[in-house]
Amino acid sequence: MITINKKLVLVGFTLLLLAWLSLDDLVEDWSQVENAPDKLETFFTEDLWPPDWSVLEAEEWADGSLHKPNGDICDEDMELFCSKAWTGMVITIKMAFVSTLIGFIFAVPLASFAAGNLTPLPVAIPARVILAGLRSLPSIIWALLFAIALGFGPLPGILAMTLYTIGYLGKLQYEAMEGIPNAPMESAMAMGLTHSERLIHVVIPESSNHLLSQLLFMFEYNVRHGTVLGLVGAGGIGMYIDNYINPPFAYDRAFALLIVVFVVVVIIDLISMFIRSFVTEEGDVRRPKWWTVLLPAGTAADYYNKLTKGRNSDNSLGESE
Amino acid sequence: MTGESESSKSVESTQEDDSQALVLQDLSVGYNKPLISNINKKIMPGESIAILGPSGIGKTTLLRTIAGLIRPLSGTISHDYPERSGIGYIPQRLGLVRHSTVRSNISIGARSRCSKWYPALLPLPSELKNDVDSAMESLNIMDLADEPVRILSGGQQRRVAIARTLIQKPRIILADEFLGELDQDNVKSIIAATKKVVDEIGATLIMVEHHEERAIEMADRIWRIKDNQLIEEGDYNQ
Repeated sequence: MITINKKLVLVGFTLLLLAWLSLDDLVEDWSQVENAPDKLETFFTEDLWPPDWSVLEAEEWADGSLHKPNGDICDEDMELFCSKAWTGMVITIKMAFVSTLIGFIFAVPLASFAAGNLTPLPVAIPARVILAGLRSLPSIIWALLFAIALGFGPLPGILAMTLYTIGYLGKLQYEAMEGIPNAPMESAMAMGLTHSERLIHVVIPESSNHLLSQLLFMFEYNVRHGTVLGLVGAGGIGMYIDNYINPPFAYDRAFALLIVVFVVVVIIDLISMFIRSFVTEEGDVRRPKWWTVLLPAGTAADYYNKLTKGRNSDNSLGESE
Repeated sequence: MTGESESSKSVESTQEDDSQALVLQDLSVGYNKPLISNINKKIMPGESIAILGPSGIGKTTLLRTIAGLIRPLSGTISHDYPERSGIGYIPQRLGLVRHSTVRSNISIGARSRCSKWYPALLPLPSELKNDVDSAMESLNIMDLADEPVRILSGGQQRRVAIARTLIQKPRIILADEFLGELDQDNVKSIIAATKKVVDEIGATLIMVEHHEERAIEMADRIWRIKDNQLIEEGDYNQ
């Protein structure tokens, strides 16, 4: 018999109702939704599709010579390496790499001072205030500030992303540090280890899975965000996207560059999955077949039980059935 | 240590022979309300004590209070254990760093023997590295040295936790059900290994145990908790 948790249903229903009332209060004219699909379809078919893949080629000047986006002669074996997509993406990845790494180096100690299980509140609160301050300004605003001070180019973008990385990664990391089991910390505290010893030999290894995952996520985030920072002259692929979404509009080229960004993000995610496999326990558990996720839970369990029985006749699970 | 200002007075008041003892004076432990009250005990160096009692009665809380992890509700705990490495604590869940190797886990215990100014990023001095190897050998886990702890069996993990504590050369070992639900063969070999090393370093052992026969086998004194009071039973060393 299925029992329904009435309180849970009531809370869920109340939250949905509140969300609907807030939305209705914010939207003054619902008629604007009426033609939205048609407008979107027109924009997609006339401006975006098909993407203009010339962004994967070198620029051809009037004399027939091939050039990189900065005007240098293209002397690469493959024309792709001289294209805006490649050169822009390489700059964006370099910017993201430098800012993620420097940001991480500063974020870890700051996070360790902000983690409630490592430091007392009088230390944790100021550390949290610093981290909150760093991430409360979006990186695009940091980039604007640095662009005013330093001029356009990758440097203001790197500094902006670094500061935002410290604030954002620091928050994720102190939460990961607070989430580790108490027991290893208690042993370390009882034996009298210092803050830095507990951080380096207990907290970081114990939360390594989360820290690594967050570091790789932040790198991916910075690659994606590099496209936005380009809009304020921070260089990279974002600068080319900015050129194409401003007059004279070339949305099909901007769309092609966005697809390139998407592909790079997917590749980073796959690499991240591979790297994380060294510190997760996924390898200890057999992965389910892809099609079993489509089966009802009971049927999938029956299938696995049969499989387990077949492979290991003296398996305790098999015997108990 | 919690209550140190008062504790120094109580240390002074004890006899010179008892200067190395752990003294629990009018101690009450618990969270907000006392689980165990009016504990007055003196534990001499090298003694081993087992605490018995049903679940939730305050055994772990007493152990954590002695370890300095929580404040006593009242009373004092006085001892002259060094700030670093003086107390070895094996929690119920062993407190191992699951993603680190066996060697790294045991090195954490060895690190407590370095000065607190020894940089945390530096590897252990070579003599301590040798001690880590010896500790692994004495607990028969040398062949697991480079394995991550998370893949080890329960018995192997217990050996790592014991090695990590013993390498500290602590003055007192506080072990919370560290034998767990191991099979008899494993229990016997771990008890033998632990006893051997505890005797070598002359440490005091206070252990929480569920199994009475194990407690009697390991301990000189038995403390039983009943009706919020700690009652000492017969001297099993006689």
